[in-house]
Amino acid sequence: MATVRDTPFRSADMSMVQLYISNEIGREVVNALGELGLVQFRDLNGDLTAFQRVFTQDIRRLDNVERQLRYFHAQMDKAGISLRKLDLDVDSLAAPTTSDIDELAERCQSLEKRVSSLNDSYETLKRREIELVEWRWVLREAGGFFDRAHGNVDEIRASTDGAPADDDAPLLNDVEHQVTAPEAQAERSFSGMNIGFVSGVIARDRVAAFERILWRTLRGNLYMNQAEIPEALVDPATNEPVAKNVFVIFAHGREILAKIRKISESMGADVYSVDENADLRRDQLHEVNARLTDVQNVLRNTEHTLQAELSQISRSLSAWMVLVAKEKAVYDTLNLFLYDRARRTLIAEAWCPTHDLPRIRATLHEVTARAGLSVPSIINVIRTNKTPPTYLKTNKFTEAFQTIVNAYGTATYQEVNPAIPVFVTFPFLFAVMFGDLGHALIMLCAALAMIYWEKPLKKVTFELFAMVYYGRYIALVMALFSIFTGLIYNDIFSKSMTLFPSAWEWVVPPDFRSGQSVTARLRDPNYRYPFGLDWRWHGTENDLLFTNSYKMKMSIILGWAHMTYSLCFSYINARHFKRPIDIWGNFVPGMIFFQAIFGYLVLCIIYKWSVDWLGTGRQPPGLLNMLIYMFLQPGFIDVPLYPGQKYVQIGLLLIAVVQVPILLFLKPFYLRWEHNRARAKGYRGIGEHATVSALDDEDEDATRNGEASSMLAHGVDHEEFDDGGDEGGHGHGHGSEFEFGEVMIHQVIHTIEFCLNCVSHTASYLRLWALSLAHQQLSSVLWSMTMAIGLKGTGISGAIFLVVVFGAFFFLSCIILIIMEGVSAMLHSLRLAWVESFSKFAEFAGWPFAPFSFKVLLEEKEELKPYLG
Amino acid sequence: MANGWSVIIGLVIVVAMCVAAWIFAPKGENQVLWRSSIILSIASCYIMWAVTFLSQLHPLIEPRRSDLRKEYIHH
Repeated sequence: MATVRDTPFRSADMSMVQLYISNEIGREVVNALGELGLVQFRDLNGDLTAFQRVFTQDIRRLDNVERQLRYFHAQMDKAGISLRKLDLDVDSLAAPTTSDIDELAERCQSLEKRVSSLNDSYETLKRREIELVEWRWVLREAGGFFDRAHGNVDEIRASTDGAPADDDAPLLNDVEHQVTAPEAQAERSFSGMNIGFVSGVIARDRVAAFERILWRTLRGNLYMNQAEIPEALVDPATNEPVAKNVFVIFAHGREILAKIRKISESMGADVYSVDENADLRRDQLHEVNARLTDVQNVLRNTEHTLQAELSQISRSLSAWMVLVAKEKAVYDTLNLFLYDRARRTLIAEAWCPTHDLPRIRATLHEVTARAGLSVPSIINVIRTNKTPPTYLKTNKFTEAFQTIVNAYGTATYQEVNPAIPVFVTFPFLFAVMFGDLGHALIMLCAALAMIYWEKPLKKVTFELFAMVYYGRYIALVMALFSIFTGLIYNDIFSKSMTLFPSAWEWVVPPDFRSGQSVTARLRDPNYRYPFGLDWRWHGTENDLLFTNSYKMKMSIILGWAHMTYSLCFSYINARHFKRPIDIWGNFVPGMIFFQAIFGYLVLCIIYKWSVDWLGTGRQPPGLLNMLIYMFLQPGFIDVPLYPGQKYVQIGLLLIAVVQVPILLFLKPFYLRWEHNRARAKGYRGIGEHATVSALDDEDEDATRNGEASSMLAHGVDHEEFDDGGDEGGHGHGHGSEFEFGEVMIHQVIHTIEFCLNCVSHTASYLRLWALSLAHQQLSSVLWSMTMAIGLKGTGISGAIFLVVVFGAFFFLSCIILIIMEGVSAMLHSLRLAWVESFSKFAEFAGWPFAPFSFKVLLEEKEELKPYLG
Repeated sequence: MANGWSVIIGLVIVVAMCVAAWIFAPKGENQVLWRSSIILSIASCYIMWAVTFLSQLHPLIEPRRSDLRKEYIHH
């Protein structure tokens, strides 16, 4: 294993491997590889639907377990039991065996039965309880009716006289279950008068309709009494409280009473029997009360049992959920494998990092040994011409940087990782725009705090904060560079620092009055402000005139450096991919073109700075004009910068112009020549699809052609359009498909783009100047609108005012100048990385390596979020 | 003290620092990252400092202001 390790410089070496695993340990092997998280399996059953695959049954079963677990969770929510969340950083779950999973499934099954039966009985009991409560109310309220009603029997009789009185049978016998009219009251009782009654409970909002319907259907032959139940009763079906009324309806005649019953039932009323006799009613009430107490006892017990059951489940529910999710993922992966029924062997194909092969091999070996199997598991590296996936390893520090690069695209397999320069250039260019020492220090504190309390803050789920937290290391580097640029700009909350003695001194006339205009002169010809901008410039009338010129030129210089640096990576890429034509046809002419124009400009800027124009009495030339005239009127020099400038500029322009046809034609014609040469030697492009997979039949014969096709493929391999798509499988390298026109068009586009981009991208770096100007001006406006006013006050009130003003100043500084300006500077810096830098060297034609890993799985699965702490 | 030669002296120091960074970068699979990042940081910072210094080396304009008080003027 002591070979060259994979570095973040380019994506890891990948190999395609074939695994032969005995069927019995398939599950264990995948489990172990999932823990390892270094293998990406290919789907070998692409032609099968999800239902036809081998392990679909197992997945179904796990789905059922998962459903049961979710059911428990829902029940726990209902019962208000909190879940014990699983912290994956602390608790590690041992890989379950098959019997563990079976046991879990069985346990879930029985638990589900138990919970649901408890639930059912709970609901039944609840219904009983409500019925009893309602009955109690009916008994109580109806008692009142009866007591009152006995006083005016005649009235009731009169009101029901219109009813047909042909029925002889005592009505109450039918209506009530316990018919006993005490003799003492016989002649005054209702039964004696052939009057029956129906009593019950109905929802309050239905009362009016109920009354109306009764009135209409019975043509007024009834006497209805009702009372409100003061407490709301809970409907067991919906679990919502419903206000209800007790009613008692007196009527005459059996049919009418039957009708009333029917109507009440159809209106959703519950009819309860009540005895007319007060004593019996009292007994009934006692009985109901006793039964209610019993039911409530049982109910409480049931609830306790359910709670206990659920809280016991709650302790391990998260772990079970995770186990089931993992197990499902394992079977999903096993479904990608080819199952050889005859030999009872699973065959898998996978991508994995070449340098990690020993680890994978060891894992396989260990699993096989543990299972005590005599049949070894075999892992074979197979040759393929498929484009391997791009696997860029990251760590805590590089992860966020890599993410912002991957947001643009996935680097081509083995090309220079575009994130390598980004680690520094992105925060640095940000800092050039953000440069203010005060703001940088606040940002540094925030970043350091996030890093110091890394662990506790990781649990914060607030999305906006999680995003900032994710980029905490970027923020740290950005803050550090901003401190440097803040010192260079000599800006702290828009004020300057007098760290070193100034190089300037004011020329004070002897009769100086306050407010008189003064200029400065250099104190010592051999002393210049050693670090950053001289503080004497701060607050002067021509401050902006000076800093704009300085920052503009600095932007151009930084842009030139950044682009030159990026362009060099294209040389490294060409070397790595062994495409010399890319060096001679793209890199070299491109570099010369760029340097002849913009390298020259940068040189002129530096030269102009280093010449003492005023001291020697010469006129300084405008460099912008110089550059424009260099193109528009070659040979015309407006104000000379140095002797012989004319010839140098014409020469450089010629060199630059000559590069254009080289860029245009060298590569396409070279490729055509190479292609024709291969043809002339007799190589033919027949069946040049080299091995894609040892198992895809179409490719069986292809390996033999390998050498021939590689010779031909070589020519086309250089193309920018090698699509690199994996799943298509046919990648590139079809010698017979060499299309000169296509190559030519491609190169024309590349050339035009490159030449125009040299100009537009250089101009694009002027955003560095614009944004740093904006930042500096904004912060000085904020100062003058808050602190400058606050500092003018005197006395106690002035002091209090100052505190308030400082609060406002600090708050606005954080919100506007750090957060808002910071985000804007970050976006501009991101653009400089994505467009100006990446376009010089990166292809972004790769596809990402997505290994089968439990860690990633658990992190990304949304459904598991509530279970993980 | 701080004259035109500073830029050259600074360059020498910076180059020495880069060499040191190359040599003393922590070993391991992230060595390339350490080297690239440290050297790039040093170079970027140097460019910025040098540009700022050079722009003030032979200034074409001098500071001018008219809001100074008499008590302050000699500082």
